[in-house]
Amino acid sequence: MSERIFGVGLLLLASGGLWFGWDLHAPVEYEPVGPRAFPLLVYALLGLCSLALVFARGKPVRWAPPPVLLRVGGLFAIVALYAFLFDKLGFILATGLMVVPVSRCFGGTWKQAVFSGAGLAVGLFILFDRLLDVALPAGLWLKPVLG
Amino acid sequence: METLTHLLSGFAVAGTPTNLLIALAGCFLGTVIGLLPGLGPINGVAILLPIAFAMKLPPESALILLAAVYAGCEYGGRISAILINVPGDAGAVMTTLDGFPMAKKGLAGPALSISAVASFTGSLVATIGIVAFAPALANWAMAFGPAEYFALMVLALSCLGGLVGDSLPKALIACLLGLALACVGIDSNSGVYRYTFDLLHLSDGIPFIVVVIGLFAVSELLLMLESHHADTQAASLSGRLLFNLQEFMLARWTIVRSAVAGFFIGVLPGAGASIASAMTYATERRLAGKDHTFGAGDVRGVAAPEAANNASAYGSLIPMLTLGVPGSGTTAVMIGALTLYNITPGPSLFQDQPIIVWSLIASLFIANIMLLAMNIPLIRLFVKFLDIPNWLLVPGIAAVSLVGVYAVHGTAFDLVLGCLLGGFGYLLRVMNFPMAPLILGFVLGDMMEQNLRRALSISGGELDILYASPLTIGLWLAAAAMLIGPRLLRLVERRRAVALVSA
Repeated sequence: MSERIFGVGLLLLASGGLWFGWDLHAPVEYEPVGPRAFPLLVYALLGLCSLALVFARGKPVRWAPPPVLLRVGGLFAIVALYAFLFDKLGFILATGLMVVPVSRCFGGTWKQAVFSGAGLAVGLFILFDRLLDVALPAGLWLKPVLG
Repeated sequence: METLTHLLSGFAVAGTPTNLLIALAGCFLGTVIGLLPGLGPINGVAILLPIAFAMKLPPESALILLAAVYAGCEYGGRISAILINVPGDAGAVMTTLDGFPMAKKGLAGPALSISAVASFTGSLVATIGIVAFAPALANWAMAFGPAEYFALMVLALSCLGGLVGDSLPKALIACLLGLALACVGIDSNSGVYRYTFDLLHLSDGIPFIVVVIGLFAVSELLLMLESHHADTQAASLSGRLLFNLQEFMLARWTIVRSAVAGFFIGVLPGAGASIASAMTYATERRLAGKDHTFGAGDVRGVAAPEAANNASAYGSLIPMLTLGVPGSGTTAVMIGALTLYNITPGPSLFQDQPIIVWSLIASLFIANIMLLAMNIPLIRLFVKFLDIPNWLLVPGIAAVSLVGVYAVHGTAFDLVLGCLLGGFGYLLRVMNFPMAPLILGFVLGDMMEQNLRRALSISGGELDILYASPLTIGLWLAAAAMLIGPRLLRLVERRRAVALVSA
């Protein structure tokens, strides 16, 4: 069943792609194949394949039990939030805040979670930003301190 | 002779102290990434590539790093396969069958050392194979026109699509999603913005690293949470570390046969390390006749898949280097790595940038020797990494992955996009969509479109240029056969099995 629903979703994606692709015109056409042919071909084939997925007799998908699925959703939200706050809070603060709940998710005690949060945040910042020359956002609060 | 001169100049570049140090670091990191369950060569290369780029390593050093990581991952996968019965990467699945039983019998040391020798032999055979065949193949491929290239890329996609995943529509959908993602961004021929939805960050297209980290690393974290509760007891590494003469004599021809077979399987697009190791394991089991303990801890059962696994991983570098068309997920990622440095792999690479190609090949030789040295005497050090608890490891992977994405453009937009793709990738993976065709489609998308349009410009819009030459016809036929063949074969076998049961 999940496969069929997903197939319908893909079908919508394919129609969206065709809808937006149809209006792609080059201002000056100097080659026989313009910018829209390839995407239209891809989305048309995608539509056909998702039809096959909707109507084929697929094996049932084995989803994780609901409590685990809820935690997966939570983990996804944490990582997405981390991505969003990465440059706003700066690497050290954002990483510290991300590590603690993720660490708890994977069986760490509160003590272990807090220690790995602090350790990873500071350790990775020193490793990448200072030793390996990969510039990371310090965040507004830390900039004046580091100079 | 010319090849040897090139190879020597490659060694001159790869042998500088800095590059040797980079190779050593790459081997070490690669082995660690390979042995950690859930992290394989794709993640390893994808995480380290942007970091190498941000460190402003010159292209040849960055490639040496990636090659060493790639080689190291192939060694590392077997460590967790043997000790905790969890394959570190896809190629090591077969190694668990005899590796873990050996470890339970107290023979973890011999299992690890014989598989290290097998890995070494496989890699060495394949590297020699690259030196022998790659320049000639590149020369031949110089004659390819855009129509041939287009057909060749369709072949690469259909090989992978035909072999992986549990159904054909799913494999094709994965390919097409990759191609669709590749269409995002400004069209280089006409300057038209495609599927950017007026977002400035999308005008250059979705960065390659964002797609790889999202689909592989972020979705992997989510999957790790699912399987987190299945705790496994590690076998201890006690007793002798080295195999004895009797074990070696039993396995030596297995190693050589599997290495050669693995190399040729690896050269074929689509058939990667997992197929090579499964095929050689089955062959060796059959060749062993009645006198074997396969499945209960036979040294040959560890040696065969490991030799094949490494040989095919190296063999798959051939289509990538000579044709510019990758045949596996990891080599697709390496193509992405090259494009970050504005290097376009393909037949002309051997002529335009010989230093880069040959230093890469030379570094494979060097990395291989380093890895053999690391994996026999220093094995206890690597085993320690299996003790890192998930509560420290997983958040660490999350942070390092996002650092990699951030290192390319320095925008949070890329990070958020990567996470969204990660969520999508999780759904795909739960529903058994194969991921390798997706990444291959994404990498090949732009090249495919360019070659298609170039071909049709030459012919003035006539479609028959796509199947005009004998070579293109051959490629199309091969693509169709690869797409349908494996599944047809499976269907026939199942029918026969059903007929036998009912008879």
